Amino acid sequence: MNRRTPATTAARVIGVVVLLALTLFPFYWMLSTAVDTSPLSRGASLLPSGLTLEHFEHVLVDAGFLRYVRVSLVVALGTVVLSGAVALLAAVAVARFRFRLRTQVLVMVLMVQMVPLEALVIPLFLQARTLGMLNSLLGLTIVYLGFSLAFAIWNLRGFVAAVPRELEEAAYVDGASWWRMFRSILLPLVAPGLVATSVFSFITAWNEFIFALTFIQDGSKYTVGVGLRTFFTQNTADWGSVMAASTIIALPVVLFFVLVQRNLAKGITAGAVKG
Amino acid sequence: MSTAAPDLRDRQDGAAPLERRAVPPGRRLRRGLAPWLLLAPALIVLGVLLLWPMVRVLNLSLQDYELKNLLRGDSNYVGLDNYVQVLTDPFLWQIVLPNTVGFAIVCVVLTMAVGTVVALFLNTLGTAWRSICTTAIMVAWAVPALTGTYIFVWLFDPQSGLVISALDGLGLMEAGSVNWFTNRWSFYAIATLNVVYHGFPFIAVTMLAGLTTVPDELYEAAALDGASAWTRFWQVTVPTLRPIIAVCVILSTIWDFKVFVQIFLMPGGDGSTREVMNLGVWSYTQSFAQGEYGMGSTIAVLLTALLMVISVVYIRTLMKEEEL
Repeated sequence: MNRRTPATTAARVIGVVVLLALTLFPFYWMLSTAVDTSPLSRGASLLPSGLTLEHFEHVLVDAGFLRYVRVSLVVALGTVVLSGAVALLAAVAVARFRFRLRTQVLVMVLMVQMVPLEALVIPLFLQARTLGMLNSLLGLTIVYLGFSLAFAIWNLRGFVAAVPRELEEAAYVDGASWWRMFRSILLPLVAPGLVATSVFSFITAWNEFIFALTFIQDGSKYTVGVGLRTFFTQNTADWGSVMAASTIIALPVVLFFVLVQRNLAKGITAGAVKG
Repeated sequence: MSTAAPDLRDRQDGAAPLERRAVPPGRRLRRGLAPWLLLAPALIVLGVLLLWPMVRVLNLSLQDYELKNLLRGDSNYVGLDNYVQVLTDPFLWQIVLPNTVGFAIVCVVLTMAVGTVVALFLNTLGTAWRSICTTAIMVAWAVPALTGTYIFVWLFDPQSGLVISALDGLGLMEAGSVNWFTNRWSFYAIATLNVVYHGFPFIAVTMLAGLTTVPDELYEAAALDGASAWTRFWQVTVPTLRPIIAVCVILSTIWDFKVFVQIFLMPGGDGSTREVMNLGVWSYTQSFAQGEYGMGSTIAVLLTALLMVISVVYIRTLMKEEEL
């Protein structure tokens, strides 16, 4: 496996180049269209025909995309806080306690993730309409809490389980109450997992489209995903603006992913238990 | 199942005494209630936002329910009429179901194949190059489905997209001469590209994590026995990684069956080109474009049932592999 002949080295180099080119190309195409002076006549040339920030300016200033960004941020941050708190409690329950129906609860959490959003959108729309929650950002946040929760529990459960039981028991031996142990031992050690989970909840809310499209009819409350559609007219699309707006939507998510990846790679409790 | 069940119980019994030791009786009682208190907020949220709506959609699927019924607050039960109507509709069997199931199968197979090949390749690289490639894959993964779809639509734009321009440049096709989004096959080819591009990173990263746990000795022993790389993959890697592969297949199957945004946002995908509809889009347009919430619910229930059958089969396989 570790033979280092010139042929295998060459194959690896080609493999890396192909992999990088294919995985990054769509992303590159989005960025380069967003800064292209004339994207519609660029054709197949790999480099943009000229560099400009006018599409970004048009999108943010003239088209009011900044407002959609603000709405999405409010909804996404609300979702993060709520789902982080609720999921952490649930994760502790399933990772730390053995109780009747525990497996059933876990299976249920796994199963509800499979429920297609298309099936939920009809009853939740009707419910929200009855409750006067359409066009309400709070309504949207609550719905996103439901969608991000199952994954958050599932994800945090692993982080909680990774905290050595001995640490908890040591806290009990020192006379700590359960709550005290939770705050001083569990919470700090699970923090990296909480960060990762928060990022995923944020992304769920930030990227969501169907419910934002269905629930919000008031143009001033559009989220970024729905707002993006305003750049399409009947038959044509202003691709420079669409790609500039897409960049604004995609960039924070991409940065988050790359950061979390490093965070996840670190050992969570490395060095916490010795000897 | 019969061989796995006692094993599962053994492990639980093994864990229990450890917990009981050193815990005073009063606290033990509190610990019986504690998990349920901790779970309560989550169970309430999931119940109100996911389970209750599922009950409601089932109920709606038995009604001829329109907006006027909601305004009047009445119900309008029609028994299984909606189901009969949907299941006898040739549109379901000729267009929608093939679009949903065929597309999902192709996507799962391609996603698994690409993800596994990439993971195997990454596993041969040194640390530095591996992390560079992993970061690039993360970028592909992170690009939201919404913007990713627009990127692919733009790449395949019939007038000035990259693909038609390149073909035009080569003299193979004239720009504007063909619209790939109006043809069912080319529409779904583009959608497949989009979904596989978006889905393979998860498989690659997960499989890579699994690959690093396979002991080298297994490969060395197999190599000594004269097994080729191909045989080693099928006889050593695949059996060792079975639980991980199972999870990957389940998750991609579920994701690919309920693909909605990637179809809906493509030109004509929002229901205006009927022959590219899948179950999700059909249900959505029946409800929100036609205002027939009852019929839309029926289609949604059928989609959910399809997913549930797949999930149950897979979860049973999964439960044999490991304790949850």
